[in-house]
Amino acid sequence: MHADSELERLMARYQAGDFAAATALIHRVSPQLHRFFLAQFASRSDADDLLQETWLRIHKVRHTYRPSEPLLPWAYAIARHVRVDHYRKSLRASAREQRLEEICSAPFVTSNAASGPPGDELAALLAPLSESQRELLAMLKVAGMSLEEVARATSSTVGSVKQKVHRAYKKLREELGSLNLKKGGSTHQP
Amino acid sequence: MNDKDIDEVLHQAAQTSDALEPALLQRVAASLQPLEPVRPLPRTWVLATALLFLGAAIALVAAFHAGFYGFAKMDLLERLLIFSTLACFACVAAAEFVHSMIPGSRRLFTPENLLLLASILLLAIFALLFHDYHTDHFLSAGILCLVTGVAHAIPVGLLGWLLLRRGLALNRVAAGLLGGAFAGLAGITLLELHCPNFQAFHILVWHTAVLPVSAALGALLGYLLNHHLRRTASVGPEGTRPSH
Repeated sequence: MHADSELERLMARYQAGDFAAATALIHRVSPQLHRFFLAQFASRSDADDLLQETWLRIHKVRHTYRPSEPLLPWAYAIARHVRVDHYRKSLRASAREQRLEEICSAPFVTSNAASGPPGDELAALLAPLSESQRELLAMLKVAGMSLEEVARATSSTVGSVKQKVHRAYKKLREELGSLNLKKGGSTHQP
Repeated sequence: MNDKDIDEVLHQAAQTSDALEPALLQRVAASLQPLEPVRPLPRTWVLATALLFLGAAIALVAAFHAGFYGFAKMDLLERLLIFSTLACFACVAAAEFVHSMIPGSRRLFTPENLLLLASILLLAIFALLFHDYHTDHFLSAGILCLVTGVAHAIPVGLLGWLLLRRGLALNRVAAGLLGGAFAGLAGITLLELHCPNFQAFHILVWHTAVLPVSAALGALLGYLLNHHLRRTASVGPEGTRPSH
């Protein structure tokens, strides 16, 4: 709670034009935002781009943050939007590339992050989940946000978040349980 | 494996993620310069009150111009029930409209649920109060009321959007729907003040329809704006960012 109010103070100073506060805020919030992107199948370079784009967006709309409100739901709502925009752009780009590939009939290697290995243990762990479930768990477990804050960030209600998290845990229990069984059955596992 | 184990696995995985390069953070910080001070948006209640004044003013001015025939014909119970319900939903819709323009705001209702709830409750109150089941000039009189209500809802919605223009609608369709629903409530208020036709089906169908029609128009506007902005963004050269 104390750390959160510190973030909000930094944000208020950032709005007032204090560059040192803006820099401190970037250093405090960026690691978890970066992990949030990595947890959702972004490659390392995509996550870097998404982080920069998120800060540019935050900078443009920093007046929409109200000092009495929690900062993380606000920042994550913008980060989510940036990620969705990026996803749509990459879909359009890959569709164009695919058309080109059909014309050339040449082998096609996509640069889309979703097709390659995520390069992050968390992303691999969350892989069996749906996009929205991954997003919720990344906010709850990586960013350490409360249910109320996640509901704010995703423009939904606490009840709806609880329900989605419950389903995500059920799926993870099943996946991790079967993984443990396989590990237990095999002698070659490290 | 129980939930605690999963929590631990997730926590460990989150901790073992690669560290961020300091150069990246420096680049991000450098991109924020020059840093000008900004004025934060006012509190929700300030913006919602401004919206309510706007909606009430347009409904009252229009009713003053057209005549308060409906209001004059109503008894006290009808006035109390109808206008207090409209006022309650207008307050909720105004607050939700404001919240839809501010990222990370607390939401009490999803836009669809709010629209559904308001429509059902208005239908129930109208059904409870009006028992004249004649249907004289059902279509012609009804369409006139629907058009009048929507025509007055449009400026409320557009001016409301103008009032909240400094906000940021992350979901423009939802924001449009909420703005349209709020404007639709202003349109219904005008009809209740002005329309002296108390036939139950006329009010149930045509007056209530102003709410979903206005909301649909707002959502359509949000969708078209979304579409336009995406096209504008995709037309630009690779790497350029859309201007806001």
